[in-house]
Amino acid sequence: MGRIVLKDIRKTYGAVDVLKGIDLEVAEGELVVFVGPSGCGKSTLLRMIAGLDRPTTGTIEIDGVDVTARGAADRGLAMVFQSYALYPHMTVRANMAFGLQNTKMAKAEIDARIAEAARMLEIEPLLDRRPGQLSGGQRQRVAIGRAIVRRPTAFLLDEPLSNLDAELRVSMRAELSALHDRLGATMIHVTHDQVEAMTMADRIVVLRAGKVEQVDTPLGLYNRPANLFVAGFIGAPGMNLWAGRAGASGFTLDGGQVLPVAAQGATTLGLRPQHLRLDPAGPLVAQVTLVEALGAESVIHADLAGGQKLLAVLPGQPDLARGASVRFGFDPGHAHLFGADGLRAAA
Amino acid sequence: MAQVGAWVGAVITAPLRGFARLLDVPLRVWQRLAGQNGMAAFFLLPNMAIFGIFVLFPLGLNIAYSLTSGGALFLADRNFAGLGQYQRLLTCADYTNLLSCQEDQFWTALGNTALFVVVQVTALIVLATATALILNRELRARSFWRAVFFFPVLLSPVVVGLIWRWILDRNGVLNAGLVAVGLDPVNWLLDRNFAFAAAVGVTIWAHLGFFALILLAGLQAIPRDLYEAAEMDGTRPARVFWRITLPLLMPNMLVVIVLALIRAVQVFDEAFVLTGGGPGTATLFLTQYIYEVGFASLLKNPGLAAAASILMGGVLVVLTLLQLALGRRNERKAKLK
Repeated sequence: MGRIVLKDIRKTYGAVDVLKGIDLEVAEGELVVFVGPSGCGKSTLLRMIAGLDRPTTGTIEIDGVDVTARGAADRGLAMVFQSYALYPHMTVRANMAFGLQNTKMAKAEIDARIAEAARMLEIEPLLDRRPGQLSGGQRQRVAIGRAIVRRPTAFLLDEPLSNLDAELRVSMRAELSALHDRLGATMIHVTHDQVEAMTMADRIVVLRAGKVEQVDTPLGLYNRPANLFVAGFIGAPGMNLWAGRAGASGFTLDGGQVLPVAAQGATTLGLRPQHLRLDPAGPLVAQVTLVEALGAESVIHADLAGGQKLLAVLPGQPDLARGASVRFGFDPGHAHLFGADGLRAAA
Repeated sequence: MAQVGAWVGAVITAPLRGFARLLDVPLRVWQRLAGQNGMAAFFLLPNMAIFGIFVLFPLGLNIAYSLTSGGALFLADRNFAGLGQYQRLLTCADYTNLLSCQEDQFWTALGNTALFVVVQVTALIVLATATALILNRELRARSFWRAVFFFPVLLSPVVVGLIWRWILDRNGVLNAGLVAVGLDPVNWLLDRNFAFAAAVGVTIWAHLGFFALILLAGLQAIPRDLYEAAEMDGTRPARVFWRITLPLLMPNMLVVIVLALIRAVQVFDEAFVLTGGGPGTATLFLTQYIYEVGFASLLKNPGLAAAASILMGGVLVVLTLLQLALGRRNERKAKLK
């Protein structure tokens, strides 16, 4: 249970097309992450699935049933909000019980479900506190607990980690993934943080300006981005994308440097910063403008001839001074090639 | 243009600057002598003087008057009566029969005021809450409707009373309308029950916008996410109101209730202009009683009026303390959130 199918979902506010025809299938038990920049429509799409907003056209099916016209309560879904949306005047226990009481469930059953969820999320000592007396991480757990007790067909998570500090976000990320494994439920998670998407998702849906740019596994997106947007969006720091032209001897950058890459028809060559290495015989010559030493690795900012920027992540703490001219090499197999239309060129 | 503005600004600020320079040296000397707390007291002095002259002094005078008897206006000419005026106000041979009271009019006014407070405040709170809930929805021309409800608040109470007297009078607009559709005219303000209801209705109309605005501010402070969470949980609208909206609106609601209580206890101007306390004593309220006894009746008794106003003031002090306590409780709760 928990298969969700979106067919040509469109949403228009006045003259603005927020969603421009989304088709997607989320398999039962899958953890799918919607990722994209602000305003791409990911939260709007999640709200449509939740039933909090209606699509202008298109259909939403859950387990084969068209639920497009159904209200939020009749879809069997549970949502965890960015703000957690806990009722501030109720205790944690009352927050978790509230939705179940609406269904006239027996008190013993409600208590049993709360106890089970509280044990799972390790929030038992917090049950009689109010949200105002909890830390951000604890509120987050309570919000998840409130969703769990309903035993929904699928969980919808709207940027649930964005209000947490960096350290807590990392641990909650792992906990959410573990929870997904334990519950085996379908989850749709919205985030603008691509690291969150990469670490948690079974599949990632990359959205931009109301359209799906690519749907794939995290490593599929990383290794074979379908277009320039995905190439630039996935991976941190972002992929180097250099303009140039393909020729018989390889790919010639706009600055004149020739890279030994077979690149028929390509106009942009992409290379991840992690795939560059210092190489005295390398084909890329660049002038260092900034070195960010992070300890275990260093991020090198440099200018190529012709003004294009180069970003490299090198292991350790290489002795590079600002202004130094450095040669970089790479494995041609790591190069990503894109045509004038922005799409991935055939290798 | 900007230069002209700067020039005008300089002309306006020049005398202020001169004045500030004049005060600078004596203020510095005073600060050195009096310290920081002394300075605070110094700056508060003008306000305290005004408060003293217009509030504390009349209050003291009122208490002094309430301990005297006779019709003389000046305190020096009046006879000391101790608590006699209070005794006169509060003494009844049989407390189940108001006519047996020494000041049966006081008790009538007290009873009318109590009934007015209960009926008017209850109706006002319900209507103000309903209005705020409606105005909080995504209505077409929402600002216009908010203005419509707030407009009567801007009117002088006397104007409110007059408008409604023109409407409800025997020869008023309402009766003209009834006659026009072939019905008999009604003496709205000469019927005890209608007149009381009119006093309640008119004061509600006049104050509704103010209280609805306070409640609307409270409603708008409730995060939308909470309603969406409730929607996901399949919560019925009535349960959303009782379990989510009302508890979260309670800080504003308590302020509104106490303010409405205070205003209702003080009811005078609109009702007096509308009904003059009549028919008979049907709409005689405490403030009007005090006014009549102290200033308007043939046998003026300032001491009795002062005693009645001190008793009424006591009720208002209790309500005000309640409001302050609630305010402090809300502040503490807000810090906890």
